[in-house]
Formats: sequence, structure tokens, C-alpha cells
Amino acid sequence: MVAMSLLRAAAAFTARLSPLKSGNNAANLLTRTLPRTDKVAVRWGHGKKMFVVKATDFYDRRFLRLLQYYILLTGIPVAVIVTCVNVFIGEAELVETPEGYEPEYWEYYKHPISRWIARTFYDSPVKDYEKMMAAIQIEKEKADLRLTQLEVRRQMRQKGDGPWFQVETLNKELIDNSPKATPDN
Amino acid sequence: MPADFDKGAYPEPPRQTPVVDKQTALPNPALILSKLFYYSVDLPVTTFRGVVDNIRAKNRSVYYHQKFRRVPDLTECQEGDYTCYYEAEMQWRRDYKVDQEIVKVVQERLRACQQREGGSYQQNCAKEIQQFNETTRNFQLRYGDLGAYASGRKCLMKQKERMMAAQA
Repeated sequence: MVAMSLLRAAAAFTARLSPLKSGNNAANLLTRTLPRTDKVAVRWGHGKKMFVVKATDFYDRRFLRLLQYYILLTGIPVAVIVTCVNVFIGEAELVETPEGYEPEYWEYYKHPISRWIARTFYDSPVKDYEKMMAAIQIEKEKADLRLTQLEVRRQMRQKGDGPWFQVETLNKELIDNSPKATPDN
Repeated sequence: MPADFDKGAYPEPPRQTPVVDKQTALPNPALILSKLFYYSVDLPVTTFRGVVDNIRAKNRSVYYHQKFRRVPDLTECQEGDYTCYYEAEMQWRRDYKVDQEIVKVVQERLRACQQREGGSYQQNCAKEIQQFNETTRNFQLRYGDLGAYASGRKCLMKQKERMMAAQA
């Protein structure tokens, strides 16, 4: 009984402190019951559903999903192809070059995909070497010609007996050698 | 199966399997573990290898080792003969690669020897150690500080400097 009066006094005190709160007016001050939050009318399934407030991860998850998709779009076919090549067409074995046989340039590679790339797309290394040598030869000839041209210029300018550096003189037939009327003609 | 490694260069240590002398009726745990390993790891892997080899047996292909002809060196080229320079440069580059691989093989042999001998490697691997020292010293002398843009000409100039230093 004393405890009840103490409780009632405490409830009245809190009602005085915050009179606008819904359970604190005089009508239900004494008869109100404290809400029991542990005995709500739901079955104990996966716990009370909570709305967790956090920053959006939609854009991050969308990025990762798209990244995964575009990587696997070509990644999985490439992995399948490489696995099939390694299982069904194995790597080559190293043997001695037989006498009198000139291997094709792709037969110097071990893995079948390297051999295929060398056979289909690349030129033979011998051909590349020769192309480089041809380019060097052309550049060498160009450089030699330029040097000889400079030397020839020097000689012709100096000696004057070549076709270059000739200055055209006037046509002799244009000169009128007939006697003139006045001396200053 | 791919070719086995060179047994002369990498000798196997003598087997030290003791003679089995069972004196108890209790099972031998080492035997149990080895059998377990065999049936769980070794046998599946070997059968898989056998299966894959049978599949691959129809498409067996071979590859060869490419041998390059020797061409005149940089010292035997006429001055201004740029094609000769190019061929000598390519040959020098191939020789550089070959020398790098030689050094790697010698290193590998020394490493294997050290692993084999354990604590007493300095005494037992004296031959490998001497070979390694000689090879690396020569490699350093010839190709040492040429850098990333090394070329046949720079190597030749380094050789010239070495000869001049040796003469002086």
C-alpha cells in the first residue's frame, strides 16, 4: 500500500513535469498500465522486423553487379575455351629437328594457342627480320644519296663545269648590232 | 609425361628407407598416413592425368628448338654497313639471352645442391659453388653495367675499356 502511494506520487510528479504527454492527464494517471514491450501480439519468428536506417548501397551494389556481369561475359567463354584447349589439345613435346626438315615458324612454340596465334596473325620472324633489313637498306641508300648530293653541289659550285649553278645569260640574237641614229641609243 | 630432369646435374641423395622390423601388433601410423595420402591424393591425380593423356593422345604435336646461323660480328662489319650492324646486334641480343639463361641454370644447380646437402653444403658443393662464382663473375664482367638500353656496340666499348684497363 505504501509502495502504491509512492508509485502514485511518482506518477503524479512525472505528469506535472510533462503534462502534454498522452498518458499523463488526470483521467488515466492512476489506471493506466505500463506497456509491456516483451509481450507483443506477434509470434517469435525471426524477431521483430526493424527498419534499419543506413546510407544507400544501391549504387555500390549495382556497380559491383554490373562489373561482375561484364567481366564474366567474356571471362567465362575464355576460361572454357582455354580449359578445352588444354584438355583436348595438349601442349607440344620437344623433339630433335629431323635431318633435312625445315620446321614452319609456328612449330617452334609449345602451347597450342601460341602456335595458332603465330600461324594465323603473325608474320614469320624471318620475314620480320628481312622487312627490317629492307627498311634499313632503303634508309641507308637514302642517306648515301643525300651525302653524294651534298658533295656534288659542293663540286659543281666550286668548279662551275656541271649542269647546276649555271646562270642563264641573255640571248645574243636579241642584241641589235645595227648602227644607231644617236650615240645614246 | 614430360622429360625428366638431368639426373647427372641434380643427383638424388641415397634412399634411407629403413628395413621394416615390426615388433608390436599395433598399427604403424606412418603407414596409415602414407596409404591415406596415396588413396586420397596420389591415385585420383594420377588417374586424372591418365584420362587427360588418353584424350590428348590423338592430337599429339611437337615443337622444335630453333638454331640460328652465326653471322659476322660487329667487329667484322664494314663501317656504314647498317644491315651488317643490325644482324650483329640481333645475334648479340640472342647471345645475351642465352647467357642469362646459363646463369639461371647454374644458380638453380647451386640452390638444389644446397637444399640437398643441408648444413654441410659449403664442403660438399664446392664444385657447384666454384662454377657459380666463375659464371657470375664472367657475366658481370661482360654484361655488367650496360643497363636497360644495352647493345652490341656498348658491350664492345666495355670490352675495349676492359682491355685498356688490363693493359695499363
